[in-house]
Amino acid sequence: MIRLLGVELTRLRWRRAVVALLVLAIVVPALIAASRIWATRPVSQDELDTVARQNAGQIAQCVKHPNRYGVRGPDAMAEQRCTDTIVGWYTGRERMSFLSERLGGSGMGVVAVLTALLLLAATTFVGHDWNSGSMSNQLLFEPRRGRIWAAKAIAVTLVAGVLAVIVSTAYWLGIWATISVRDLPTAPGALGDSLAYGLRGAGYATAATLGGYALTMLFRSTVATIGVLFGVVVAGGIVIAALSLGEQWQPQKNVSAIVKNGTMYYVDLPEACGGPQVAPDVDCNGLKELPLWRGAAYYGVPLLIVGAGSVLSFRRRDVP
Amino acid sequence: MPELVIETTGLRKEFSTRRGRRIAVDQLDLAVPAGGVHGFLGPNGSGKTTTIRMLLGLARATAGEMRLFGEPVPHRLPSVIGRIGAVVESPKFSPHFSGRQNLTLLARSIGAPTTAVDAAVDTVGLTGRDKDRFKSYSLGMKQRLAIAATLLKEPQLLILDEPTNGLDPAGIREIRETIRGLGESGVTVLLSSHILAEVQQVCTSATIIGRGRMLASGPVDELVGTSTAYRVAAPDPDAASRVLTEAGFTVRDGLLVETSDPAAVTRALGGAGIWLTELTPVRRDLESVFLELTSGTEMGASE
Repeated sequence: MIRLLGVELTRLRWRRAVVALLVLAIVVPALIAASRIWATRPVSQDELDTVARQNAGQIAQCVKHPNRYGVRGPDAMAEQRCTDTIVGWYTGRERMSFLSERLGGSGMGVVAVLTALLLLAATTFVGHDWNSGSMSNQLLFEPRRGRIWAAKAIAVTLVAGVLAVIVSTAYWLGIWATISVRDLPTAPGALGDSLAYGLRGAGYATAATLGGYALTMLFRSTVATIGVLFGVVVAGGIVIAALSLGEQWQPQKNVSAIVKNGTMYYVDLPEACGGPQVAPDVDCNGLKELPLWRGAAYYGVPLLIVGAGSVLSFRRRDVP
Repeated sequence: MPELVIETTGLRKEFSTRRGRRIAVDQLDLAVPAGGVHGFLGPNGSGKTTTIRMLLGLARATAGEMRLFGEPVPHRLPSVIGRIGAVVESPKFSPHFSGRQNLTLLARSIGAPTTAVDAAVDTVGLTGRDKDRFKSYSLGMKQRLAIAATLLKEPQLLILDEPTNGLDPAGIREIRETIRGLGESGVTVLLSSHILAEVQQVCTSATIIGRGRMLASGPVDELVGTSTAYRVAAPDPDAASRVLTEAGFTVRDGLLVETSDPAAVTRALGGAGIWLTELTPVRRDLESVFLELTSGTEMGASE
């Protein structure tokens, strides 16, 4: 088994398309981190002076009529207040914090990028074995199909897991380093929470990679796998909307539940909540928690089904 | 009873198609003795490749039993696969890897050393091109690489499905010599081929199948010798033909007499006062046997 795993890791390393996707899985999160660092950079004195110069007319108007600009005055400090206010309008920039990175788009963005690229790498890797027909050649040397399936699965999961953990950890350490350099305040335990967030995201991306691999072994084609995944996303959205299922059934909500260690979702309140007297047994809390385990089950159950189907199919079906 | 390397009993394979079930192999009893080169002949769609694929665990048999080296397969295939080298249909390798990379991956999967790759590449004459991508190879080079892959295991049984496809005449001759040499060295070779002259030259025994069923099997000499004819020449061919027909012989055009008893021909003609000027045995070749047995069986059987 170890020998087969070594073979699959070598095969993976030699596949240029797969390596390119793995490199992208490093580069794109690095670009996201760079863009966040750039977008939250402190405003320099030069920048402030430039903006003040460029808006000198507006500042002068403000000094004349401070009330129009919501500035106190007129008095001796009016010019300074007007300058601060107007320059602030044009240089207002978000301050970097762990919380905003976790709640905002960048943390989830890194998870989404890792998931998409690693899943694509897995399906490209094994789809090639089917497209080229080399799968049958491999079976002529190792006819125990379960072992072949497992060796390939472990190879893609191992590579995806290690890469996802390294990239996620590096991302959050990069954010931490930036916050430290900028001497910004952080909540106690914020770094640990963010690293745990990153690890959960890496776990999700790794599981998705395994799912992509299992689907490709089932459908025996990269294109078919991508098509099916696309179809499931589109059809799933339509089904959820058509059946008026709650927000807790939305795929992205369940990803949030996994990555954020639980998340909140809204539910429609029963009509009884609108009346003057509400019975004690009526739940009028419109905000519910979607715990991590529910998100994990949402994705875990289909993953198990697809995995089992993939193994059974590979063991039983004729190989072209 | 010689030791059988390949043995199938009542082997059957059905495929489900949109037009119903198609029987690719039907009650096939195949017996390949150890040593020598065994030809496996049949027209397109007769079930040769399907049989080979079932033996190698690539396809599941619908019914029947198979044994390789006496071990039931596919159940015990892992215990014997190390003794079997096989090329099934067209060579299937990763097109983006070089020939050497493809062989290296296969060698590593069975724990064969790198020197085995070097030796295999050298044996099939791919040295110098082994580091080129597989997709840049000609069909002949691809076939050579496939044969090189079978040699990684130092097999006792070689299953070759149309191994000379795409090779140039020199390549065909080279592969033919290699196969003959392997057969003489004790390796059992199952050679599936359409080139009947090749089979007749190389094989010691053969099985002919059509519509998934076995039509004939045995040593090549016996297969071609089961119906020997004699070409007869006499001063008056018409009279000779008339006499032989009246004596109960089957006489075809050109005074070709089908019989296994040439003395009876001379007796019949001598008794009628016709003296032979020539009596030449005309042995059928494998091609004529093959065409005779498989006429009307070009397409796969179906129901």
